[in-house]
Amino acid sequence: MRRRALLVLPGFLALLLPVDASAQKTIKVGYPMILSGPGALFGEPSLKGAQMYVDELNAKGGVLGRKIELIPRDTKGNADEAVRVSRELILKDNVDFLVGTLTSAEGPAVSTIAKENKIVFVAAIPKTDQLTAPANLHPYVFRTASTTTIEGRTAAEIVAKWGVKRIGTMSPDYAYGQDATKAFVEHLKKIKPDVEIVDQQWPKLGEADYTPFINAQMAKKPEAVFSSLWGGHFLTFAKQAKPLGYFDALKYNFIGAGEAASLESAKTMGADYPVGIWGNSYDVWDWKAGPDAHKQYISRLKEYTKQDPPSSWPITGYIAMQMLVEGIKKANSTDSDKVAKAMLDLTVETPIGKQTLRAKDHTANRGQFWGKTVMDPKLGHAVMQEVLYIDPAPFMD
Amino acid sequence: MEPSFLFGQFLGGLTAAMFLFLIASGLSLIFGVLRVLNFAHGSFYMLGAYLAWQIVRWVGPEGEGFWLAALGAALGVAILGAAIERLLLRHLYRREELYQLLFTYALVLVLADVAKVTWGTGQLSVSRPPSLSGSLQLLGITVPHYNLFIILLGPTIALVFWLLLQRTAIGRVVRAAALDREMLSALGANVGWIYTGMFFVGSFLAGLGGALVTPTQSIVPGMDVAVIVDAFIVVVIGGLGSFWGTFLGALIFGQVLAFGILVFPGFSIFAVSALMATILVVRPWGLLGRPIR
Repeated sequence: MRRRALLVLPGFLALLLPVDASAQKTIKVGYPMILSGPGALFGEPSLKGAQMYVDELNAKGGVLGRKIELIPRDTKGNADEAVRVSRELILKDNVDFLVGTLTSAEGPAVSTIAKENKIVFVAAIPKTDQLTAPANLHPYVFRTASTTTIEGRTAAEIVAKWGVKRIGTMSPDYAYGQDATKAFVEHLKKIKPDVEIVDQQWPKLGEADYTPFINAQMAKKPEAVFSSLWGGHFLTFAKQAKPLGYFDALKYNFIGAGEAASLESAKTMGADYPVGIWGNSYDVWDWKAGPDAHKQYISRLKEYTKQDPPSSWPITGYIAMQMLVEGIKKANSTDSDKVAKAMLDLTVETPIGKQTLRAKDHTANRGQFWGKTVMDPKLGHAVMQEVLYIDPAPFMD
Repeated sequence: MEPSFLFGQFLGGLTAAMFLFLIASGLSLIFGVLRVLNFAHGSFYMLGAYLAWQIVRWVGPEGEGFWLAALGAALGVAILGAAIERLLLRHLYRREELYQLLFTYALVLVLADVAKVTWGTGQLSVSRPPSLSGSLQLLGITVPHYNLFIILLGPTIALVFWLLLQRTAIGRVVRAAALDREMLSALGANVGWIYTGMFFVGSFLAGLGGALVTPTQSIVPGMDVAVIVDAFIVVVIGGLGSFWGTFLGALIFGQVLAFGILVFPGFSIFAVSALMATILVVRPWGLLGRPIR
């Protein structure tokens, strides 16, 4: 679904990798990811997370006695380009596996290449349900990303507790926005039948002026709003909605999916953030209730990326790589057919807890962090007041 | 439907229209005089936004530094625009128009990469200046002071430019340059500098638009391409090269967008695109434009 230019990175990383003639051949993993354009804001840290996992693993001797070589390629946020670089990775670089992709257009596109070439592909970020829907599922595709179903339904579980009846939605008019919003609406109606959807606004993706949508929505007087505007889109929307009194009118009963409460969004907006709304994030750096493994992961990440607080996106690449490597271990082979079988119902202890790739749809029970935002005077931007990791297992189909 | 809501929708459309007018007027001015369709106009707009962010960072977000940033950004972009005209674009006037198009398109790609290398790909944000950070209640709706400022700024700029073009000596020369550059040149006017000056002014407007939009939008790569499409729609509706046409086009664009979503929810862009297509068929030179000879 989603954004720094590191045009030299692929070549650079390849140079950095140590060449050890005595070891067996390295296991090559292609990493198609958005590394330029707006999506690189998320793609680049995702690659960092994957690279951190690989560096740590190689330092410990690798897997099956072999080191892993990560080969990143820039998809430029374009499904055609993602397909092109994935083919190239398979044919020219002879990669054993594919991990990565970001948008809900790239994921399904690369999945077809994985199917054609019978190579295991682990989708790290695409959320569209289509990726692993029965019609598109094949033995080689796996997903460690969250899904639109999980995201929408989790938000519905939260909103159901607010005691509100008149609900509105504000989401970008394309696959991701529509799917997440549909999942939210359907699940909320199911668990709380007395709610009424009073308004649904569909600004186009990349809309510059949300004012008409905001006014139209306020006129319908919803008590709470679900939104899947993400990244810069959420930023623009919130900057225009706040002075119009939109969040005050909602009494801050606004829940933003699409990582509205991520460090990246909160930091950029600073004092302009509509503090008090609910939002989600792939990761948080101060998950007090979290396992020790998460705390250790965060401290290693701070050191690796020299960022404090660290980005919320490296976890996407880290877990995707971890799942693949555990699959290789279990299969005791790098043969994609064997690894694909080993990954079915594979449970792995990740930094955010146990994750299982369900045999049924090859999808992990990947929940996200949700919370109501408060201003952190020390950091100067909004943070989640109480971080909730919501395990989606109970309401996945 | 409550009247206060319709009024709110109207004001929202008006604010959007005035932002678009700022940007599209520069595009239209440059085309009107130089006959160059400047694809890079949106890139100038984007640079205005990034420069404004940069200057706000230098002078600090507190206080009224934003105004300095807006003016500084607009001037910076204007100087860049003038330099590009003087040093590069100039050599293409005698070639086919296709070469000018290709050149300005190349500028789009180059400037996008320059912005990316300089400011990264993250989202940047500028706050509204404290003097205009409040809002007022007008006929039952909340109107942010900043939006009101934009609504007033648009017509002010339109009027100033119209007076300059119609009532001053420079304005007469510029109008003459738009009509017949060879004749004006033969009469002894320095057409070269008039062109550079117009490019300066047009780029200034783009830069100013980009800077002024930052308190209401995130600054992201890609904002150049997004805005140039809207600006083209505005000038096509109003008539390429027609100043008041651009004003009218922006007004129509804003209102059609604001009210279009009430009629066709989920097809926000449809109404505007349909309007443009209709005008292209019925009156290809736009509402207030002149058929090109």
